Amino acid sequence: MKRILAQARKELSQFWRDRLTVALAIVLPLLTLFIFGFAIRLGSQDLPLVVQDLDISPHSRAYGEQLFATNQFKPVPWPLDRPVAAALDQGQAKAVVVIPPDFQRQITQGQPVTIQVLIDGTDANNARFLQNAIRATTNAFNQSLVPQPLPLPVTVATRLWFNPGRQESLFIVPGVLGVVLWIFPSLLAAIAMVREKERGTIIQVYASDLRAEELLLGKGLAYLGVGLVEALVVIGLAMVIFGLGFAGDPTPFLLGTPIFLAAAVMFGLFVGVRANSQNAAVQGVALVGFLTALLLSGFIYPLANIPFPLSMVSNVVPARYYIALSRDAFVRGSGWPGVWWQVGMILVLGLVLFAVARRLLHRMKLPD
Amino acid sequence: MSPKLLALLKVDQLAKDSAAVITVRGLQKRYRSTVAVAGLDLAVQRGEIFGLIGPDGAGKTTTFHVLAGVMEASAGDVQVLGRPPGQARMQMGYLTQQFSLYLDLSLEENLRYTAGLRRVPPARYVERRDRYLELMALTPFVNRRAGQLSGGMKQKLALCCALVSQPQILLLDEPTTGVDPVSRREFWDVIATLAATEGTTIVVATPYLDEAERCDRVALMSAGQIQQLGTVPELRQSLGLHRLEVHLAQASDLGRAEVALVGEEMGDRGGTVIVDVQTFGDRLDVLVADRQAGPQQVRSRLGDIAYVDLTLMPPTLENVFVTRLRQQGSDPPFIPFPEQTPRAATPAAGVAIKAEKLGKTFGDFRAVDDVTLTIRHGEIYGLLGANGAGKTTTIKMLCGLLVPTSGAMELAGEKQDLRRSAIRQRLGYMSQKFTLYDDLTIRQNLEFYCGVYGIRRSQRRARIDWVLATCGLEGQGQLMTGRLPQGWKQRVAFGASVMHEPEILFLDEPTSGVDPLARRQFWRLIADLARQGTAILVTTHYLEEAEHCNRMGFMVAGRLVAQGSPQEIKASQPGQLLELVAEPLQAASNCLKAAMAPWRVAMFGDRLHVVVDEPPQDIPQLRSRLQAAHITLHQLRPIPFTLEDAFIGIVQRAGG
Repeated sequence: MKRILAQARKELSQFWRDRLTVALAIVLPLLTLFIFGFAIRLGSQDLPLVVQDLDISPHSRAYGEQLFATNQFKPVPWPLDRPVAAALDQGQAKAVVVIPPDFQRQITQGQPVTIQVLIDGTDANNARFLQNAIRATTNAFNQSLVPQPLPLPVTVATRLWFNPGRQESLFIVPGVLGVVLWIFPSLLAAIAMVREKERGTIIQVYASDLRAEELLLGKGLAYLGVGLVEALVVIGLAMVIFGLGFAGDPTPFLLGTPIFLAAAVMFGLFVGVRANSQNAAVQGVALVGFLTALLLSGFIYPLANIPFPLSMVSNVVPARYYIALSRDAFVRGSGWPGVWWQVGMILVLGLVLFAVARRLLHRMKLPD
Repeated sequence: MSPKLLALLKVDQLAKDSAAVITVRGLQKRYRSTVAVAGLDLAVQRGEIFGLIGPDGAGKTTTFHVLAGVMEASAGDVQVLGRPPGQARMQMGYLTQQFSLYLDLSLEENLRYTAGLRRVPPARYVERRDRYLELMALTPFVNRRAGQLSGGMKQKLALCCALVSQPQILLLDEPTTGVDPVSRREFWDVIATLAATEGTTIVVATPYLDEAERCDRVALMSAGQIQQLGTVPELRQSLGLHRLEVHLAQASDLGRAEVALVGEEMGDRGGTVIVDVQTFGDRLDVLVADRQAGPQQVRSRLGDIAYVDLTLMPPTLENVFVTRLRQQGSDPPFIPFPEQTPRAATPAAGVAIKAEKLGKTFGDFRAVDDVTLTIRHGEIYGLLGANGAGKTTTIKMLCGLLVPTSGAMELAGEKQDLRRSAIRQRLGYMSQKFTLYDDLTIRQNLEFYCGVYGIRRSQRRARIDWVLATCGLEGQGQLMTGRLPQGWKQRVAFGASVMHEPEILFLDEPTSGVDPLARRQFWRLIADLARQGTAILVTTHYLEEAEHCNRMGFMVAGRLVAQGSPQEIKASQPGQLLELVAEPLQAASNCLKAAMAPWRVAMFGDRLHVVVDEPPQDIPQLRSRLQAAHITLHQLRPIPFTLEDAFIGIVQRAGG
């Protein structure tokens, strides 16, 4: 235990000595938090839309106005004589609605009428959104024309649970915490490990009878400390700036965060044990750590959408469980009954990473 | 019985002896296809200083790694204190070739960390830290960062770290590489003290053969095996040769004399008793097979070349080393530079480098102060000084890498804008830190430098092949540079810095960590370049090498305190130098140092050099002092100053 503390103490002095690293350890996570917190907007607004009204009648005008009644679309003027497909080709509009010439006449005669909608399918997500939005507007327009027999047999009364205002930052920011607190502590730990190898100081460690677990725990402890400071700063500022607050019992989150940080540090040490240069270590963390935490964690893209073999991988991404935990703490507030499983998984994965790193290092000898 | 079997029996004999603390039988180590250690047998006894010498790539570092328990052997049996090395780690201290220090931590933090690592109780730690820092004269710097120490001080700190757990065995892998002659001797005094007072067993590798002479026993290693093992006198005797020191009347005759002595019939060794000839600045060392026929033949070969003195001496350890390795054919070849471009543009003896009151200040630290020097084309100028005296800073300013704080300078006739590529093309610079990329192959590294220096495509192949051949690396161009032993990297780096035929060449410790044979080859190349008109500024800690310089300057604390030719420098030394052979030598050194100023006493291999002012009075005093300390004095004679004596005197007198 003494030697673990001695190791941690030395590691912290080294970290503290390098003021640039200290600054980066605090500034980079905050920068990432702000970029993700402010820049990512999942809902779509002001999508450019061309409405080509070939009828120019009160009905056709009313329909067009209804499309632009919400802030979802932004009208793009388009001359009648130009082919509408060109608007999509040139990227000036994401969708085009063509209202046929006899729109009003057919409606008043009670005949069904078809309007043509062209949607830019490049962005599949957006395309689905456009399709739904135009459908919904058309349904509403239909209802305003043909009074429905009352009462309807089935009506839907929706209420948004947990995030009644559909505040987007409430979805994004708890997720960012999972990404930021995974990458940066692991990056620092990986560099610290590989630096000893690059400088040759590791030989002195090998030449003593320090065991692999003591080395890992010593370094881990130091960077867990650094990670906790980072977490405090990042979570604190996230709460202040993005207006996050605990929705329920905060204890799972408060306990889960240190465990998650420890797992992140172990991941960094594991990369450091494998890599032989700082470059390799940074790339290892950036590629494996960052990509999985970003894409396979449910941070932005729903876990359920990940196809089969990859979905297996997402099961061993600790950030996935932490993001769930953090969303529960700040949005859902269900407490232990809802998230005991996540805390447990983070703990298990952290232990697995520790075991693997220890196994790789256990000879405590130079490679052949 | 075969020598190998004999060696094995000897090891077994030693192993039975309880005094053997390290026994190695049939040690082998392979890295993929290369064999680093090929069947090593040795036994080290308790309390002895055991030296390991050998050319670069002999497998010394690998052997140390295995002994220290940080690397697995491929085959063989290694016992340290009767256990496998892995289990004896806590009883060993290991000083690696690379500084094993945390440069961003202070001395005290480095020591505390090592103490923690090695479970030293806190109370003991404080006591030992204070004692060893005191012993190494590092106490005033305890809160300084390790990165701010000079090379010699770093090594002492590393030794402190190794000692803080009071190991029974110390493994030292080239601890004095890149360390100046004064610090080197201080370091060895500490080692000798440890062996004498604490009974520490010391295994040490060194490229300095005068240091190896201070070992109790020495093993000459090459190609992964021990070629010869014994005490220093045993090794010398086994050579069966005699050394003739030839002092010439005119230093300018040296080249002619060497050619005459080596003889035209290099291939025909039948009629000659001359085995080896080496130039040491103002004298020639000739190895002869016969003590009667040798001097005769030397005299007859010298012919009309006037000599002052011809002395028959016992061979040195370096003679043993060089001769044995030559017998194995591991002498690197001297190959003249291919397709040299004729130098019409540079006027012979024109000024290449000129510095006028050059100064450099870092913060409030005056690294270089008022340096004035001139170096001409075709001249080899040696810049000498202790670690941290400002040599590297001076070189960096002279080649335009650092802007001086004060003073003026001229480079290749230009005064302004010294970083222009047109000027840079005419310079070559080999820095102390390796300038090669470890993760490129040797050939890729050389190709990169060809590109950087704009060597014509048609010449590239020949030049690269020349570097590879000179380094003894033909057909190995695809080897990863990082896997080369340190001394070989140094050779490739040297080749890379001269490939573009620079007019002005800066060499910052080119030979540090390079074995004696390769060092000789370096100096032949340097001399060859100088003959072509290249101006060369070189730093070195091997003072016998510095004799090759035409002129030299000594730096102390940023100032040039003495300049001149080797002869002038030596002639300007005050007092008379005495050579003493005494027993026990270390005690004699300690005794005299206690009585006289420390700069007056220096250990040179198996003898002592002492400077006295008034020989008629001082010599009897000296004798009686040694007698009082029960030290037997075998020999005492006046000798001329060597450059190393001059260095020790100048540096210690000026540095205080």
